Amino acid sequence: MQREEKQMDATIDALIQRVGEIKTTIAQFIMKLEHEYTTMTWPNVLDNFALISGQINTLNRFLKNDKTPALRNHILLPLVLAPEPDLELEKLTESRVRAFNHEVVPDYLRTKPEPDIEEKYGSVTSRSTSLSTDNLQKQVNTLNKVSANLIEMVNSTREQWESDITKTAALPQTTSQADTQKLVSAVSFGKSLKPRRPEPVGLPGPMNHMPQQNMPMNQGMSPGHGQPHGPPGGYNHMYQGHMGMNMNPQMKMQSSMKGNIKSGGHNHPYGRP
Amino acid sequence: MPQSCGGRSLNTFNILLTLLLLIRVLSYPVPEGKSGQQTVEALQKQIEVLGATVSSNFTVDCETYGTYQQTSQPQHINILHNSEQPATCFAVLDSGNCLVADLQFDALMNKIKMFYIQKKNARVEAKGLRYEYGDFIIKVGSVVLGQSTSFKGVIVEVEYMPAVVVSECFGLMREFMFSFMPTSVIDATTNHWKTKNDAIYAPQDTVLQYLEHFNNFRKSAVSMMPPMQ
Amino acid sequence: MRSNPVPLQEYLLQGSILEEHGDVLLNRLNGLCDPVETGPEKFYDHELVYTLRDPVPPPVVFRVRQAVEHPEAPWHLRFLGQPDVADKSRHTLVRSCIDVGCSSNVADFLFEMGFRLDHEYTVKGYLFRKGRMKVTVSKIFRVVQSGNPEHAEPLTKSYLVELSVVAPQGQDQIQDDMKGFAEHLKPLVMLEKIDHRRLQQM
Repeated sequence: MQREEKQMDATIDALIQRVGEIKTTIAQFIMKLEHEYTTMTWPNVLDNFALISGQINTLNRFLKNDKTPALRNHILLPLVLAPEPDLELEKLTESRVRAFNHEVVPDYLRTKPEPDIEEKYGSVTSRSTSLSTDNLQKQVNTLNKVSANLIEMVNSTREQWESDITKTAALPQTTSQADTQKLVSAVSFGKSLKPRRPEPVGLPGPMNHMPQQNMPMNQGMSPGHGQPHGPPGGYNHMYQGHMGMNMNPQMKMQSSMKGNIKSGGHNHPYGRP
Repeated sequence: MPQSCGGRSLNTFNILLTLLLLIRVLSYPVPEGKSGQQTVEALQKQIEVLGATVSSNFTVDCETYGTYQQTSQPQHINILHNSEQPATCFAVLDSGNCLVADLQFDALMNKIKMFYIQKKNARVEAKGLRYEYGDFIIKVGSVVLGQSTSFKGVIVEVEYMPAVVVSECFGLMREFMFSFMPTSVIDATTNHWKTKNDAIYAPQDTVLQYLEHFNNFRKSAVSMMPPMQ
Repeated sequence: MRSNPVPLQEYLLQGSILEEHGDVLLNRLNGLCDPVETGPEKFYDHELVYTLRDPVPPPVVFRVRQAVEHPEAPWHLRFLGQPDVADKSRHTLVRSCIDVGCSSNVADFLFEMGFRLDHEYTVKGYLFRKGRMKVTVSKIFRVVQSGNPEHAEPLTKSYLVELSVVAPQGQDQIQDDMKGFAEHLKPLVMLEKIDHRRLQQM
């Protein structure tokens, strides 16, 4: 017997503590809503809600716990009603209840619904008993059908939305990662832009001719010699192309020189061996 | 990265085409005991007597870069600046191939210092006064070589603005120069115009002539040096 | 008279867009960028990339560019430094950059200096400006016949899209503007900081 009482006390203490926690959390939230509504963000509000609902859940779980004695088996009855203000009670209830009198007790110790609600409830119950079972079954079936339809509609709409979203996500296929890489590699280090033909390295033929070709250049070549003598590789064509744009004779002279340089200098930075 | 070439304007290419003849005055008959500075002053005085007015100062400088000695084929790059084209840099190779570029070309030379190194004490600079006289621009300056600020020679530049081809005004310029210099000096012109007497003038023609004279000054400076012990 | 120009840096974001969506992008850029009465600026350039290798291994790369349809315009010589991609705090690729306008003999000049042509390509496209930012939408063509820019074939079916700013060193805040601008082009084009060295290893 004593053990049960002890357990009861512990349960009520725990309940008081939990409810107190919920109360402070709600008070804090209300404070925030009233004073910080300009700076408060929506996620912040949601956080507060989550905290409160979490605490309520804990309370519910505690009440349903096997170790918690079934509170409904206990009776709470007022022994004394006093019309005088009770200071201790006022303190306990944070000035909400000043006296334990006839006015407040029916509200605070109520175990039944309020009378007008009880009345409505009674009329509905009496109506349901007056209906025939067949009729009832019919109505239940209709309601089930309507609900099933509604659920189906919601589900199909959701499916459509989701497929739409995936479709729009697939739509901006306006870029190709492979192309980006190809283009960037090309402009930054010439990938796939380099000539396919291997560079003619160290052709023996032109090398042999080198000394003869160099001679006139050193002595100041006349413009008449102005065409490059280099081997007809791709690069040489290119340089001839450039020279063609230069009209003045001295430039042509240089072009001939370049031809010489090129013919021998494929593996050397400054042209001639 | 793409730079619209068409969008860029280069201040290098003057619309006003000028013709210019450069005369080296090293063989100017300097009287005994007269210093180079005195020679310059005497020339300037004569030009002022003609009625020419000083418009500003002028400088032409030249730095030389060369390949490292390990490379069997030496190549030099001369980088010249002319105060007449203050935002331009002229790069001249041994062959005489001259690149006209923006001043930022100097910064590019720094990027290839693994290949081309700046020659020490090779800086040549011509500094002096710029005169205007009708259609003529006359510059008289002294030439300084390397770290020393010692005088190495006198340089005179004459520009006749209305013409664009040397052969058309050579006689006129010669006559004009005769009014303040002896003919022997005038006829010892640079090799530059010998090959392109009929070509249309461009700013690099001026710079190439300066370079030719600068190289001569350098050679004479080397020959004047006392033999190594 | 000799001045040392302030070292400049290029801030760069890159991406691409498939050919068929190019018009959508051009329209969007027309709206976003500084208005030009004549519509987007077109360009058609020929780029020649030269390297100087010997005797030391790391080659120096100089890029020569010319407007194909404006042969009278100055040629363009460009040096780009190695990008500093290690710095994760930067939103864009940053590399040193030297731009030099020069005379048309630059190709011959470089050749005489010891430079050799490594590769070449042509670029055709549109140029937009937004303040200091430059946006190009261009196609890259492989030059089939060396020295003949007209004879070229497209590299891909996409346009290369680049957002760049050339600014003096230390103006890193420009990267925020660029990032903001790149956001406006999403999801049409994803302009990103692309690690060139990683691409090179692939």
